[in-house]
Amino acid sequence: MAKLLEVKDLVTNFYTYEGIVKALDGVNLEIEEGKTLGLVGETGCGKSVTALSILRLIQPPGKIEQGKIYFRRDGKPSKKSSYLDLLEQSETFMRKVRGNKISMIFQEPSSALNPVYSINDQVSESFLLHRSKELSEGVIKEIEEKVEKTNSILKKMTYKMKREIYKKILVDQNSSLVKFLSRISVVRVYNHRLKKSARQKTIEILNKLGVPHPQKLVDRYPHELSGGMQQRIVIAMALACHPKLLIADEPTSNLDVTIQAQILDLIRKLSQDLGTSVLFITHDLGVVAEMCDRVAVMYAGNVCEISEVKELFKNSLHPYTKALINAIPRPGSKGKLKSIKGTVPNLINPPSGCRFHPRCPNQMKICRQIKPEFTRVENNHLVACHLFTPLDSEHLTGFTGEE
Amino acid sequence: MRLELKVKTWQKFKKRMEPGLKEVKFSLSRVRKSPLSLAGLFLILLFVFIALAAPYFAPPKYLHEPYRIPRDGYSATPRPPSRLHLFGTTEGQYDIYYGVIWGTRTAFRVGFMVVGSIMIIGIVLGSLSGYYGGVVDEIIMRTVDTFMSLPTLILAMALVSALGHSLDNVMKALIIVGWPSYARLIRGDILRVREEDYVEAARAVGCSDLTIIFKHVLPNAIYPLLVMASLDVGAMVLTAAALSFLGLGAPIGYADWGQMISFARNWIVGPPGNPLAYWYAVTIPGLFILFFVLGWNLLGDALRDILDPKLRRR
Amino acid sequence: MEMRNYIIRRFLLVIPVLFGVSILVFVILLLFSPAQRASVFITDIRQLRDIQGVIRKHGLDAPIYIQYFNWIKEVLRGNLGWSKTAQQPVLQALFYFLPSTFELALFSVPLIILVGIYLGSLSAVHPGKSIDHATRTLAIIGWSLPTFWFGLILLMIFYGYFRGLLPPEALGTEAALFVKSQDFTRFTRINTIDALLNGKFWIFLDAIRHLILPVITLTVVSCALVMRIMRSSMLEALGGGYVTTARAKGADEATVIKKHARKNAMIPVVTISGYIFAWMMQGVVITETIFNRKGLGWWWARAAVQLDVPAILGAVLFSGLLFVLTNLVVDLMYAYLDPRVRLG
Repeated sequence: MAKLLEVKDLVTNFYTYEGIVKALDGVNLEIEEGKTLGLVGETGCGKSVTALSILRLIQPPGKIEQGKIYFRRDGKPSKKSSYLDLLEQSETFMRKVRGNKISMIFQEPSSALNPVYSINDQVSESFLLHRSKELSEGVIKEIEEKVEKTNSILKKMTYKMKREIYKKILVDQNSSLVKFLSRISVVRVYNHRLKKSARQKTIEILNKLGVPHPQKLVDRYPHELSGGMQQRIVIAMALACHPKLLIADEPTSNLDVTIQAQILDLIRKLSQDLGTSVLFITHDLGVVAEMCDRVAVMYAGNVCEISEVKELFKNSLHPYTKALINAIPRPGSKGKLKSIKGTVPNLINPPSGCRFHPRCPNQMKICRQIKPEFTRVENNHLVACHLFTPLDSEHLTGFTGEE
Repeated sequence: MRLELKVKTWQKFKKRMEPGLKEVKFSLSRVRKSPLSLAGLFLILLFVFIALAAPYFAPPKYLHEPYRIPRDGYSATPRPPSRLHLFGTTEGQYDIYYGVIWGTRTAFRVGFMVVGSIMIIGIVLGSLSGYYGGVVDEIIMRTVDTFMSLPTLILAMALVSALGHSLDNVMKALIIVGWPSYARLIRGDILRVREEDYVEAARAVGCSDLTIIFKHVLPNAIYPLLVMASLDVGAMVLTAAALSFLGLGAPIGYADWGQMISFARNWIVGPPGNPLAYWYAVTIPGLFILFFVLGWNLLGDALRDILDPKLRRR
Repeated sequence: MEMRNYIIRRFLLVIPVLFGVSILVFVILLLFSPAQRASVFITDIRQLRDIQGVIRKHGLDAPIYIQYFNWIKEVLRGNLGWSKTAQQPVLQALFYFLPSTFELALFSVPLIILVGIYLGSLSAVHPGKSIDHATRTLAIIGWSLPTFWFGLILLMIFYGYFRGLLPPEALGTEAALFVKSQDFTRFTRINTIDALLNGKFWIFLDAIRHLILPVITLTVVSCALVMRIMRSSMLEALGGGYVTTARAKGADEATVIKKHARKNAMIPVVTISGYIFAWMMQGVVITETIFNRKGLGWWWARAAVQLDVPAILGAVLFSGLLFVLTNLVVDLMYAYLDPRVRLG
């Protein structure tokens, strides 16, 4: 299967009053087309920062320092040349990507929706931002039909004139002519028609998402809906333009369990129907087991292990992953819960070498000095741990063998 | 034996107060770090110093009426700063330096008395209203609504006219006009805190209503009140100065900043060759008011940022 | 549907507040002596000679609640007494002095709102930078300024030092004479508007020139308040989840700020526009006094000093009524902006 997105050595820092928070310290990820990658880790390990970095939504005082984010260009065969480094593109380009090729949904649906705009306004915005060409073609088609239908010469002429104007607008949206025309009703009517078109599409997609009575709901405001319904709206906004990648940042953490199941089902079904890849961020291993094809485990700004889901549960390699899975209470088990000793490190002064080494039961001398890189162990299983680094690896340069 | 017991009790007390003290220390450190709050504090302390040391900076001429500004003659034309009159004299030959020094005392008197009173009245009425609800709440809140639907200056003007033109009546009028906002604030906080679990818990343990109000509700509601109070000291002094300026406040010749500016009203523009001739008459008292109010505003703002539990640890 | 209910409910709330205001005014009235109170009931200067008769006629020595009914009866009939400072019945004087004050408000309010919102917004979008520090400093100084002093200083500089550049009063001597003459028709008694309606542009310019300083004096304090509120509410809006969502949708920064953040940030600003209005009414008292513009504020200031009781009470009643109505409009606008209010 072709790779859709590849993140290489992503480093993101936050420049705060107390110091530089090294949130991402060389993150590596891969997402294949049509598949779902889960991203798990404790709170504060950098999952959301990774997601925001991919879309380049990191705001100051944060800064993406270095790295590469390769994204596959449309319709091109899987060759090296058909990938674009998102970190090198212009902001204008990124805006065309956001919400269009890559979408993101967030944890708290009630704060993700703007309280003073109706549902229609917000979902239509996605269409109007990225699909205006399609929408206006729809409008022009409508006019064409009107031209066909009417018999009156006068009406025919007005419609034809309108059609020409709309075609002109379609071609060059920012010309001064258009701006001038927007002062008079012509372009306003055009925008109005665009909005009507968008509204139609909004109702369609809400239907697809299992929202009851979309025609009525569409004029309501976010606070009138339940949490589950709000999250469906957020998903609708994200999937409106059929993105190739959906980043879901803990979308169900704030919902109760029954709604959670519905939303997860929805995401799974839609991504299958649309062929969308999903980067599913969560701290819940149970959700991962259910939703994902592959899983990446993160700790303190690094990815420690990536593998197929079943493989991770059956045969986890990294000490952190093993500890995580061990910590899950199993029915029938007795005795004290197995927690991981120590606490999540302060990212302003992270531990040297492997960031997990202070808490690792298998700690070695080398772990304190050199950060482990990914090693490929069978079955497409990647792990970043010195237990698995081959002895002749170039990654070991710099190891002094002393304390 | 006795000593051991005392030491133990003191240690227990210290331990109990520890988190509270930690917060206080943190607040103070925030104050120290914020330049604005330091500036505000500096200004206020400066004025406190001036007020306390007034008899030394400007020894009173009329020993039993220290607030009466000494006059050097009766001519109307102000005289510029000189050896004799450090800041010059204003219309009627009142010494500006004396007026602004003792005016500082007047300002503090007005500010503290008014704000202190409205705080107490507001807390009492607001607490009663919020805690007991029902008819009491309705009456008090309707009264608050009524007062708050009138502009403060105009209402104060009407009250001062009705009670008589004097500085004491200005203070009374400002107290009458000022308490509603505090009552409303406390009431709101009480309504909010009343629903909190720890109040329920306190009641379940058998605390009386009064204890709950004093021990649980007020300490939580006090911070926005403190912020409002420090901002109000400035605001009240401004309003009192405005009333004095209009002639509704202190009697003529009393050391009051507002009144001193009103003396300068006819002397804004000097003779054609030297229009800024009498600048000292209007500028100096005004600057005193400006910096006094500025100090309290800076402090109030800084307190707001420091005491708000959400903004504290950014 | 919900909007209509909200409007009705809001309108009904006005009544008890106005009732409360009338009681408050009545209490103030009672603080004056009977002779002073008598002047509240007369509409004709000749009646002043027969104070005792007036006292008896309107039952001023009767029990309180009867007095209240008598008084409120007169008020509702439009009889607010005779103002000795205005030399006309109070109600008439209110209409007489209103245009001048209205003119000041007309030019001040938009300025306050536009400048305050713009600067506050700018400050929030560039936090920590020099523009932010500059506006915040200006705002806090503005909030600490004594209005009456500031106006005098402005006069000192722009009228004194700059030799009559921006003068006090409403019109220059020449324009004032012309305006009183036969060649000038008074449509609204508002100088600027009338000048335009009469086609006399030079009078319009003259009036504007006389308006500059009073308007600045009046606006500076309120502007500071609007700036601060706009800044903090804008900062809050920009931190909201919906802003990140909008960016994630691919909206450009300008849309994010204007469409998403600003509409949310405006809500607290609208709430305080009621207070801005209240501030206007107070500010007018001082500003008109300093610049010698004969409007409501000027009249009320003199009334307070000269103990013109009917005028003083009229001031409280009028400003109370105006404030209540303004708050009503503000609340309705608030409901329009924030759907959570009308549906919640």
